[in-house]
Amino acid sequence: MPFAASTLLDRLGRPGDLRLGLSPRGGHPTLPTGVEALDRMLGGGLPRGRLVELTGRRSTGRTGLACAIAARATRHGEVVGWVDPTDALDPETVMTTGIAPTRVLWVRPRTEHDAPKAAEYLLGAGGFGLVVLDLAEAAPHLRIPWPRLTRAAERTRTTFLVLAPERRAGSYAALGLELSERRAHWSRGPGRPTLLDGVTAALTVARDRLGVPGRRLTVRHACA
Amino acid sequence: MARIACLVVPDLPVAAIRRADPDRAGRALALTDAPGAHVRVVAASAEARALGVRPGRHTAAQARALATDLIVRQRDRAAEDSARRALVDVAASLADRIELAPDGTVCLDAGGAAHLVGSEAGLATALVARAARVGLEARAAVGSSMIVARLAAYHGHGTEVVPPGTARGFLAPLPLACLDPPAAAAETLARWGIRTLGELARLPVEEIATRLGVPGAALVRAARGEDERPLAPQSFAGAVEEAMALEYAIDTVEPLLFALHGLARRAIERIGLAGTGCAELGLALELDDRSRDTRTIPLVAPTRDVKTLLTCLRVALEARPPRAAVVRVVLSAVPARVRATQLGLFTPAGPAPERLATTLARLGVLCDPARVGVPVAVDSHRPGDAGVAPFTLDATAPPAPAGAAACRLVIRSLRPPRPLQVFTERDAPCFVRGTGLGGRVVGLAGPWRVATEWWNDAACARDYYDLELSDGGIYRCFRERRSGDWFVDGAYD
Repeated sequence: MPFAASTLLDRLGRPGDLRLGLSPRGGHPTLPTGVEALDRMLGGGLPRGRLVELTGRRSTGRTGLACAIAARATRHGEVVGWVDPTDALDPETVMTTGIAPTRVLWVRPRTEHDAPKAAEYLLGAGGFGLVVLDLAEAAPHLRIPWPRLTRAAERTRTTFLVLAPERRAGSYAALGLELSERRAHWSRGPGRPTLLDGVTAALTVARDRLGVPGRRLTVRHACA
Repeated sequence: MARIACLVVPDLPVAAIRRADPDRAGRALALTDAPGAHVRVVAASAEARALGVRPGRHTAAQARALATDLIVRQRDRAAEDSARRALVDVAASLADRIELAPDGTVCLDAGGAAHLVGSEAGLATALVARAARVGLEARAAVGSSMIVARLAAYHGHGTEVVPPGTARGFLAPLPLACLDPPAAAAETLARWGIRTLGELARLPVEEIATRLGVPGAALVRAARGEDERPLAPQSFAGAVEEAMALEYAIDTVEPLLFALHGLARRAIERIGLAGTGCAELGLALELDDRSRDTRTIPLVAPTRDVKTLLTCLRVALEARPPRAAVVRVVLSAVPARVRATQLGLFTPAGPAPERLATTLARLGVLCDPARVGVPVAVDSHRPGDAGVAPFTLDATAPPAPAGAAACRLVIRSLRPPRPLQVFTERDAPCFVRGTGLGGRVVGLAGPWRVATEWWNDAACARDYYDLELSDGGIYRCFRERRSGDWFVDGAYD
């Protein structure tokens, strides 16, 4: 077949190709995470203007991965909003991830119940490449207006990343990433003190409205 | 040869009231110095004068009898001051040598403005147009001296230019009254048959000085278009202030915001004349219990968006409403350069300054301003200390650190540290129990000792451990050396 015709068919779709539902991730703008394997798996990164859940139990590396994503965003000039209702962010260790702190707006609501409102303000402002809502240690019964927040994220094309012990946004999340099977690594040896080297965890795509769920990779978090 | 421009607002007290309350435009308005029916009218609008009201002659009651729909109000000195300063701002946008007279007349050096407006006629037109932007119906003129420019402004066609060498010819037909002579001198001159400035200018100065004294000589020189002194430039730097006395005390936020809307709009217009934005708002409310409520509202980024300023004012007033009804409002705006809307050519634009200012104001109310900002690592040996710095988006900020993103294990702080119950075996923790965590110790690192600030009350002497528990968590725990108590202050995640 002539080259031009073949190329045209590749673009338009060959007879028999069916495309159901939304267009594949390849057509949706993404926010790269900075973790190469994860970006490859997700087709470029986290979807912009969508809600992404990053879940897992304590010490599986949720916060570290969120910081890595924020670090990549700030290094490329994006502004990141971080809503921290439990005042859990530790600037000293967070800086080791490469975050540019002047590009991070750290918001600590007085109570957990103000956290959704703070997130709504940030999402509605526009111009933020990433807004993180840290519910990792928040009360499980905290009511979150998911429809309003997802609409605000969509309107301003902001990637809205929610950290939580388990999935809470249901079908409002375009992408759900789950960290599990955490293993800690300790460095030991004769004459040397034992130190925590880091953890490895399995990252599973638990939900992906724009792609294929079920994919896995192993993420290693090293101690600074 | 010096060229002076003059900017005047006829009937400034009336114009100031109408500027503060545009609904009064076109209405018959009379102003008094004090409340009461028997006080004299000190100023009246053209509509009121057309109905027969005469300032200085009629009392408020007499004026109301002449015109049934006459509005009688007390003078608003604060609004007059704001109007005078607004005229100064207009002049300052075109010249840098400005003098403000007590009656509100603004004289400026017209020499340096030619490159901005092209001609002296263009200067006069620009002054009048910019005065209209700040809410004042002004008249302007350019002449060879302050007195010529001033008289031309009052008696010309609105944007008058008196060419060099023609001042005496321009002034000649003007009546003597336009110089506002002292009563005794006016009577004497009238007896001599002197009716116009041209006739006065022909009189010899020395003889007039002998007969009428220094005021008489000054009148002759003024009639010739000569100033008694040169332009004395004044400095007018600082915040732009708009003030208004309210007709009635306001005790709810919405009507107060309505009044503030006008003040904010006028302040922004004045600030915008110099191409700057508002970086900080000051609000001073005089209350009907004779107290004052002053507050400062900093903005993250200079802005000229009135809606943003009103949102910040609303947030501040709703967070802390005035304790009594408000009778007078003074709004001041500190000018600063407006940030470019783009952070860099190859970087994302970031939040718009106006929206960011509004968002930060709202977050400040929701979370407390001290809990919103840039995370800062405190210069301390105590683990877990954190600080916050104000969030500003600076286009010239240093670039972010280079290098690949690192997936690091970070600490999730527990503030304040939570007490633990720790069971030890051969001085090493083997079982831990606490609020929200607990289990057998399956991995351990430490201790490492932290002893800091031993010289003050915040002394810290702790042995830290990293503990992996059977509940799945990895925690940073410490034992206070003095008390022996155990705490957890962070979880690795």
